[in-house]
Amino acid sequence: MEDNPTSWFMRVTVGLLFLFLLAPVLLVFPISFSGDRVLAFPPSSWSLRWYEALLGNSVMMRAFLTSLGLAAVVTVLSLIIAIPASYAIVRLKVRGSEFLFNLFTAPLLLPTIVLGLAILMIFASAGLLATFTGLVIGHLVITLPYALRVLSVSLGNLSLACEEAASSLGAKPLIVFRKVTLPMMAPGIVAATALCFLVSFDEVVITLFLTGPRMTTLPVELFHHVESQADPLVASVSVLLILMTIAVVMIVDRTMGLTKAFVK
Amino acid sequence: MMHQTIKGSGVAAVKDPYLCLEGINKKYGLIEVISNLNLEVRKGELIALLGPSGCGKTTTLRMIAGLITPTAGRIAVGGRDVTRIAPHGRDMGLVFQSYALFPHMTVARNVAFGLEMRGLSRAEIGAKVTRALGMVQLEHLAGRKPRELSGGQQQRVALARALVIEPSILLLDEPLSNLDAKLRDEMRTQIRDIQQQLGITTVFVTHDQVEALSMCDRIVVMKGGLIEQVGTPHEIYEHPATPFVASFVGRTNRIKGVRNADGSIGIGSSLIRSASSVKPGDVMVMVRPHRIRIDWSGTERQGETANRIAASLSRITFVGDVIQYHFDVDGSEFIVEESTIKSQAGHHPGKQAVLSWAVEDTFVFGADQ
Repeated sequence: MEDNPTSWFMRVTVGLLFLFLLAPVLLVFPISFSGDRVLAFPPSSWSLRWYEALLGNSVMMRAFLTSLGLAAVVTVLSLIIAIPASYAIVRLKVRGSEFLFNLFTAPLLLPTIVLGLAILMIFASAGLLATFTGLVIGHLVITLPYALRVLSVSLGNLSLACEEAASSLGAKPLIVFRKVTLPMMAPGIVAATALCFLVSFDEVVITLFLTGPRMTTLPVELFHHVESQADPLVASVSVLLILMTIAVVMIVDRTMGLTKAFVK
Repeated sequence: MMHQTIKGSGVAAVKDPYLCLEGINKKYGLIEVISNLNLEVRKGELIALLGPSGCGKTTTLRMIAGLITPTAGRIAVGGRDVTRIAPHGRDMGLVFQSYALFPHMTVARNVAFGLEMRGLSRAEIGAKVTRALGMVQLEHLAGRKPRELSGGQQQRVALARALVIEPSILLLDEPLSNLDAKLRDEMRTQIRDIQQQLGITTVFVTHDQVEALSMCDRIVVMKGGLIEQVGTPHEIYEHPATPFVASFVGRTNRIKGVRNADGSIGIGSSLIRSASSVKPGDVMVMVRPHRIRIDWSGTERQGETANRIAASLSRITFVGDVIQYHFDVDGSEFIVEESTIKSQAGHHPGKQAVLSWAVEDTFVFGADQ
């Protein structure tokens, strides 16, 4: 039944869709190997000069390391806050847990630019602008809703019976959590980790308001670079960003399987 | 504020009770799911909580385990009040319908879990785990993960895990309902054997009357949060206290009748007798289908203790082991079951016969019960 017209039609449609979604991204790869001085496709000559330029560009490299460190710190903090929070909301069902959940996830519904402006105003008076601490707090506002949502769903899907069995076998609540609940939440935790890392690593809008010449992130630096120059350096930076993303996704896939982590 | 309605809950008192439930009441908001439940269980006894879904049997079990706190009442084990004690301090072995094995641990680690919580040495744990797995014949699967086991094997691991801690009480929540029929029969025998061997006090929640009748020392029949009857399987089956028990445990015909002042009961134009005492008026008559004899010629002599009633055959259902005859008696339907034999005579709808059954097999209940 491989040759029936529906499957043939489907395959072409899906192929076109993929092309539509990925073409701009794929285009970045050849451009990054351009030997030209300006951004153009197709390049008239090939070279590694823009990768050399990237390595030699201390501002870009510092921004990359900042982004990496920022994403790592934000991810760890998100998990430290969201794991107990999701437990309190889903399992303990404390008074007002519905309200708490909505409060935590509200930033997802607000226009990011408004959120960015609001944070700018508060941070300006608190002296947190262009500081690492400021960036961490700003990013947490965005990553926490994702972490909480993923972890709550993951915890909500777990049957209570295993935890009840553990406590009937003599395990105190904290031990039940550590030995049974937490390991069973592993797929959700991996998914939340990946999501937080990627969201923080890619975040531009809020970060734009919070960075300055002293402290900037890779996406923001990329944005500023495009504003002032139109050289293929942005393409090599983009490749770096894409590879980072793929690496994270690969790690998730290897440890859990993508569908297990994100779908269920 | 603490007003308690005493409904028809039977008080089931025994000598030297080990597990005592006294005046247990459970409310969710305004809804009362358990009303004034009193139950006493002897040490080493296997008792079934039997009833349809929503009767409160699982709620009762979960209250014994400490997973639910009763709104009112007291639960005691061996004289110790455990009503306010958390599940981890109760020392009870719990087996769930879903088995609830820890998916991230091997079979051996699952069984060892309760022993680790008790701080036993590694050597002791190893020995006890091996013995417990041996009891359910699963030593060879100790290194497997639960997802690599069949339903029956998972169920046995769950049983071993609950028993290895040598709990004061074993609680089984519908442990067999996820198994196929053949395996269910095997597990029934196995659970009963292990229970007898260890002499462990066991509470068994089930909606399956066959499980309750075949495995348990006593049965508690529940309905709507109340105990309908407590008794041995024989008592429950032969002397049902309520029409609900009569029809929930075993099968029965339900026929409307009228009790006259002289004690006789009228069904249509026929009169029958019963040992049950009920007030004159509308009544419900119940007779088990296989306790009725069919006299096709209408001439057989019956003893003094038999009820006889003329009926006409309306339908025949062949079920393999048994054949069901549906009879019409002045608009009421009687079902009669006979074991099948190869040379069964063919009968046709419309045929007249006389149905007879023993007076003591006639259960009569007031129409309001």
